[in-house]
Amino acid sequence: MNTKNMKMLGLLLVVGLALMVLAAQCGATPTPEIIEKVVTVEVEKEVEKIVTVEVEKVVEKIVTVEVEKEVQVGSFSSANKAVEVAKELCDGVELNYVREAGLQAQDPLAMAPIWKDLTGSTVNVIEMSYLDMYSNQLQDHLTGGGSYDVGDVSPLWMQDFVSTGVLEPLDPYIEKYMNLTDLDDYLPVYSAEGVMKINGVTYGLFDDGDVFVLYYRKDLFEDPENQEEFNAEYGYDLAPPETRQQMFDAAEFFSSKYAPDIYGLAIQRLEGQAYSWFIGPFSGAGGQFFDENMQAQINSEIGVQTPAEMVQQNTVMPPGVEKWGFMEILSAWMEGKVAMIITWPIGRWGAGYGDTAKQMAWVPSSTVKGQVGYMLQPGGRPTLAGGFNMGVSADGANKECAYLFVQWMTSPEISLQRVMLPFSLRDPYRKSHFASPLYRAAWPEAPEYLDKLQEATTGQWELGIPGAREYMEAIDNAVTAAYAGKDPQEAMDEAAARWDDITERLGVDSQKAAYEQWLQNPWNRPGSEVETP
Amino acid sequence: MGVAGVAAEAAEPTTETGRLRRKRLTPWLFVAPCLIVILLVTIFPTIYSLGLSFTKWELTLKEKPFIGLGNYIALFQDDRFLHSIFITLIVVVVGVGIELILGFGLAQLLVADMKGKRIIVAALLLPVMVMPVVVGYTWRLLWDAQYGPINQIIGWIIGQPFTYTWLAKTPTAIFAIIVTDIWQWTPFMFLVFLSGLAVLDPEVFEAADIDGAGGWDKFWQLTIPLMRPIIIVALLIRSLDALKFFDIIFTLSGGGPGNSTETISFYIYQVGYQFFRLGYGAAAAFVLLIFLAILLTFLLRMFRSATEG
Repeated sequence: MNTKNMKMLGLLLVVGLALMVLAAQCGATPTPEIIEKVVTVEVEKEVEKIVTVEVEKVVEKIVTVEVEKEVQVGSFSSANKAVEVAKELCDGVELNYVREAGLQAQDPLAMAPIWKDLTGSTVNVIEMSYLDMYSNQLQDHLTGGGSYDVGDVSPLWMQDFVSTGVLEPLDPYIEKYMNLTDLDDYLPVYSAEGVMKINGVTYGLFDDGDVFVLYYRKDLFEDPENQEEFNAEYGYDLAPPETRQQMFDAAEFFSSKYAPDIYGLAIQRLEGQAYSWFIGPFSGAGGQFFDENMQAQINSEIGVQTPAEMVQQNTVMPPGVEKWGFMEILSAWMEGKVAMIITWPIGRWGAGYGDTAKQMAWVPSSTVKGQVGYMLQPGGRPTLAGGFNMGVSADGANKECAYLFVQWMTSPEISLQRVMLPFSLRDPYRKSHFASPLYRAAWPEAPEYLDKLQEATTGQWELGIPGAREYMEAIDNAVTAAYAGKDPQEAMDEAAARWDDITERLGVDSQKAAYEQWLQNPWNRPGSEVETP
Repeated sequence: MGVAGVAAEAAEPTTETGRLRRKRLTPWLFVAPCLIVILLVTIFPTIYSLGLSFTKWELTLKEKPFIGLGNYIALFQDDRFLHSIFITLIVVVVGVGIELILGFGLAQLLVADMKGKRIIVAALLLPVMVMPVVVGYTWRLLWDAQYGPINQIIGWIIGQPFTYTWLAKTPTAIFAIIVTDIWQWTPFMFLVFLSGLAVLDPEVFEAADIDGAGGWDKFWQLTIPLMRPIIIVALLIRSLDALKFFDIIFTLSGGGPGNSTETISFYIYQVGYQFFRLGYGAAAAFVLLIFLAILLTFLLRMFRSATEG
């Protein structure tokens, strides 16, 4: 290329650039608009990111400071005591903590670094599925043990874990390190025999107030047009349901009016934990698990009616609900695709509390903020479904440090922080949690939510005697077989036969003794109401 | 002969014996590490679990009493176990049978040179390279009632929304499981048969052409008999695998609805690792082992007669 051509090219470039600058100044061409949009979006994203991080930091700070001020139970803080002792004993100690995978694991993953900063002890969170938590902890113990130091144990599994020696008795540690008034801070339902204790010995510190609650869309229930149409069709007023028939009618009404955009009801039906939705209605209607000779009674009239009703409910739920687990229910609710759900405590998510947390990025944002009402599980007693104790492995090499970590995590002040974390799946279980002004101010409907959760603790625990996992699986199989079209009577007869077989195999007398012991807990006794002490 | 000479003569055979002994021992020394590992991880656990199968070992029972054949007798009175055998046999007979037919058909189609053959073969082999657990979860989405593409396509065909819950109804759940298994393992059959067909002697077929044999005759009278040993080996590998069918059941149906899609392996997992009935679970595992041994013997005999014939 010669000099002349080079000059021409340079001139063209200068002219081109000048024209572009001129065009940008005029703002008439579409190109600058696009650039502006891109820049705006980028800036918005950046601001959002900064705000999110800052908000999280501020919330964390406020929660920590306020919670410390707010919780003043007893003469000394169990959390501080645990830290003080662990600093001396546990610096450099590694603890393995078994926790349910996914959202459940987010809270210990957030707390472990704080524990490490305070004490020098590392906590490795070992994540696994809910059912694997049962089998893996038992397997570890049966094969020599020592892999885990701390484990989450459902009250349902306590008898099996205690009778096989998986869990370390905690009373000596409690007496040594805990401010004993902290024990009085537990709601009695969660500290009772069969939950934290087996035969009067404490084997776990309760840490997750799981109970079923009905969530409903106020906007749909309070809509005058819906109220008028419902009344015309069913002959009574549309209101948040108190009975199962009312729930079915409302669900049928909404599904027939709004489906496929909105269905009336969604309840988890997936195999594996389907039994949890059987227990409350069965027990609340007066169903008994066993008679005085330990013969199974789950195929009684109430026992058959319960899965029959569940099958009927499926007809007004979204298609394919038989394979819906917790996440499908949660997503449908958050996206506003259902009018009612019955599930574990998720009130803060529906309210959009802390939905900017990065751990919540994969959960749909709530479209029902400010529209959520809370009710007890209709007709009967709510199921006290699952829940977790934090226990110490009897095979662990660092039992004392493991206990101190458990005490710190479940202490009033730290546990309040944890049940308030936006991404935590831990739910309130201490009196101080329900009374916390901070928690009650977390979103406008929080007081209503917390009161309903506390009211729901009049519920029924799942059967927690030796072999519980197998007993519950028999119900699970019967219920899911009924969904698939099997006659509920036949399905429950088969389940009852399996129950009798399990009882006989494990020993009728010993099972009877365990069942009678289990019934000592008022929340374990079937019936429409709890006779609390 | 002096004393030293006698001693040397006496020592010679001893050295010879020592050398022979060393010669005999040397191969054993080479295989010893391997044998020890096999003894530790295969033979010992097998013998131990055989012993376990004669005891009543329940999670919550302190004692582990010897009950002889009690577990085995109880197994054959256990409807759930018998049902799991039935489901396993359905998977083996129907699933492997269809895989055999489809695999053979595809191999026949693609054995001749054709345009794009390499790409087609590579694409066909993809499913077999995916882990069964991933296959299970993927097909679970495909079978989904509301958002699954299968229902979507059926909906397009029939012209209205189709929301059938395949995995929640007993007959369609087992159907869905077999379809998923066929999708994953037909390529394996196809690959084995393709390699078998590719090495068949073309002169035999040319001779048949000269004799005026038709395509159908050549298939039944030549291809099938010549491929018999390969068919038996393919059947052997797939049947042994299908008898242990677990992953797809675990991820796709969880053995449900109820326990209607439980296979023997899934049942053993439930009994042994969920309910910790270790003696009973061991007995069930040995029953499965006996089934496998019978099938193996039967198919190996067929293989021998095919190759000798």
